[in-house]
Amino acid sequence: MEKESRPSWDNPMQFILACVSYAVGLGNVWRFPYLCQMHGGGGFMIPYLVMLVLEGIPLFCMELAIGQKMRLGSIGAWSAISPYLGGVGMASVVTSLYLCLYYNVINAWSFWYLFHSFQAVLPWSQCPVNTNRTAFVEECEVASPTQYFFFRQTLNISPSIQQSGGVHVGQALCLLLAWIIVYLFIVRGVKSTGKVVYFTATFPYLVLLVYLIRGVTLHGALNGVKYMFTPKLEQLANPQTWINAATQIFFSLGLGFGSLIAFSSYNHHNNDFEKQAIAVSLINSGTSIFASVVTFSIYGFKATYNYENCLERMKLLLINTFDLAEESIHKQNISFWISELNQTHPDQFGLISSRVEHCSLEQELDTAVEGTGLAFIVYSEAITNMPAAQLWSVLYFFMLLLLGMGSMLGNVMAIITPLRDFKPLARSFSNETLNGLVCAFCLLLGIGFTTPAGNYWFTMFNEYGATFSLLFIVLIEVFTVSYIYGLKRFEKDVEDMLGRRPGWYWKVMWAAVSPLLLISLFIFYIINYIQGGVPTYQAWDKEKGRLVVTEYPVFGQAFIGVLLVSSVSCIPLAALYAFCTRHQREVPVRKGSARSRTSSV
Amino acid sequence: MRCVWMVCVLCLAPAVAAILCKPDVTDGYKVRLSIKTALGDDAYEWSKSELFLFRAVLAFAVQRKTNNVNYDVSNILVCDETERVSFWFVVTTPDNTSELLPKLVVENAIRENRHRINSAFLLTDQTLDFVGINPTLAAPIEYDTPPWLIVFGVVMGVVCAGIVALLVSTFLQKKRAKKPSADPVDDEDGSGSIAGNGILCESIGDKDGTYNQGFTDDDRFTKL
Repeated sequence: MEKESRPSWDNPMQFILACVSYAVGLGNVWRFPYLCQMHGGGGFMIPYLVMLVLEGIPLFCMELAIGQKMRLGSIGAWSAISPYLGGVGMASVVTSLYLCLYYNVINAWSFWYLFHSFQAVLPWSQCPVNTNRTAFVEECEVASPTQYFFFRQTLNISPSIQQSGGVHVGQALCLLLAWIIVYLFIVRGVKSTGKVVYFTATFPYLVLLVYLIRGVTLHGALNGVKYMFTPKLEQLANPQTWINAATQIFFSLGLGFGSLIAFSSYNHHNNDFEKQAIAVSLINSGTSIFASVVTFSIYGFKATYNYENCLERMKLLLINTFDLAEESIHKQNISFWISELNQTHPDQFGLISSRVEHCSLEQELDTAVEGTGLAFIVYSEAITNMPAAQLWSVLYFFMLLLLGMGSMLGNVMAIITPLRDFKPLARSFSNETLNGLVCAFCLLLGIGFTTPAGNYWFTMFNEYGATFSLLFIVLIEVFTVSYIYGLKRFEKDVEDMLGRRPGWYWKVMWAAVSPLLLISLFIFYIINYIQGGVPTYQAWDKEKGRLVVTEYPVFGQAFIGVLLVSSVSCIPLAALYAFCTRHQREVPVRKGSARSRTSSV
Repeated sequence: MRCVWMVCVLCLAPAVAAILCKPDVTDGYKVRLSIKTALGDDAYEWSKSELFLFRAVLAFAVQRKTNNVNYDVSNILVCDETERVSFWFVVTTPDNTSELLPKLVVENAIRENRHRINSAFLLTDQTLDFVGINPTLAAPIEYDTPPWLIVFGVVMGVVCAGIVALLVSTFLQKKRAKKPSADPVDDEDGSGSIAGNGILCESIGDKDGTYNQGFTDDDRFTKL
């Protein structure tokens, strides 16, 4: 069998773009603006940037260093660092697998919305009519057209996680397409991925720029941007702000999945990863801030639109009830008229008082949404009110797709690279076949997310599949590098690669600050889990037309337990296995080298 | 005597008409026009002529509905006009001016000719509001093939073609690489078999083939 050298990126730019493409994902667009809004607008930048410096950049650099040094995927790399810690790599692979399963479903939804944008009238801009054409479909009346399109026509969601049904064929087709495209991107490994990231990393910025220009020129956009940038510094006293900043940095950079180790394992030995780590982390945070300006201008537009609609409705109600001339009431004097009419015609006013709403722009701006609700409901509603809505819709969902696909590349590489390092597998299957098998496996399991209860399983995976285990994994990682492997040895490795030792900043962060931060985050998460009581999810109630908080049934809670335990337990189990096998076999001691057998993968 | 009787009738006629048309009458409808909302700067002023047009269009609608029974503008009675531009109207039958056309007939007449009535005033179903007659919603556009499926088909086709092309080219590359006998020492694509002292590094490592530098003692190699 001919010995192939490890494939590598064509140039360092491909590596940087791959990291950017992986790190800059949907979280930058839909989680960061929400956190900004919740935690005091412009003031949130302070904890965010502090956490970036204290934990983001050091941990990112550490993972790149490990991958570049060991030139192996996560399992091989950690086994090489310590034979007892091959489980860290395995935990990463398991977590990446969970992520791959559910993350591509988001891409499937983006495809679904993208394809539905090619219509004269966007399907989520109006309710469908019922069979005898007298009124709109009831569920749509109670909710809104965008919510109806998302929950009924896209997801066909069931009322609870227990009730399910058949696969949604359209969704399944979109998921199939998403996986085929992922396969196309990774089929030749680094060679094909390296070319693709030129596009997936840069095009979203172009779209964001176009959207920025469109966004700030919308009517009312500046209300939203002003609202965002007005710092509410009292939020800094809230510990939740700092915790959220830390977790956002942590998850946004994609640490702990093994993707960064996989990417940097294809680097040349002397690649300057330190500078690249700083660059990519800063680009990631900068993108978050950039995306939140866009999001807030769209929020402002939507809030102003709703506020003005509310005023119109009130005006119509008043002039219809009291037969006043149309031009007598307008935005500025409507509150005057309300109080006036209440005094002069109290009985008539009493009849309509239940329908009188208090229109408030601040209230509209205060409604903060994150996650899929922001991307697929709030944003698509805002788009329907823009002129040339189809164009903006296509552009927006295409950008979501690129962001999602870029992150998927990293996730799939995190699984494939360790598998390829496992020699028996690499010998029996060619590159293309192995990649195809992984994609097919994830596709088949992912079909489960296209059933009516699929969205609830999706939320479960999203909330529990990766969060807790990642914290644990990265905590073990930084602890291992700093104390078990030894900071001195690590310094020497870095010097070997870069030609200079890491400065005091890196050493302090790796040895002290980042582990402490991670431990406190970890403890906080555990306390939160315990205090939170029974885990709950939000189920769609079609009669009320909104989400209601529901408790998970027993099998749901059991599955959450399985998700959490399955990835985390790899670490102790692998350590135990290595311990047992080591003592059973004779360890060949070679003079002058402390070799260790790699634990079985 | 006859003059007195005629004067009485003439005096009573508007009174009778007034009784026929009043707010909340059973066989009448309230109409609301929102001209300024619909037309903005191009809005016209509501005047007697516009009201005349309304009565004429309504007479046209009722005439059309009742299969060309001769309805005249005078059969449409209007009352309770307000600043809002809203008023009540009733329709009297041509044979007997004190009898009103039933509500249902009027409603159907308006429904069937709604578009014509709206166009006469440059308004829409929402801005020319007949209170109690809900507009029939537009029928949804039916497609033979849903457009999303077409776009999906195109994208899927392109992607599959791309994959097939890549796989075929890989397969051909491998076939071409197998043909000339490979010289193990002379590697054209520089797979980088590192040799030190004539011994290939791979032979030093164990059967897994990776030399784990993580556990190397520095003393093996000369220190710089």
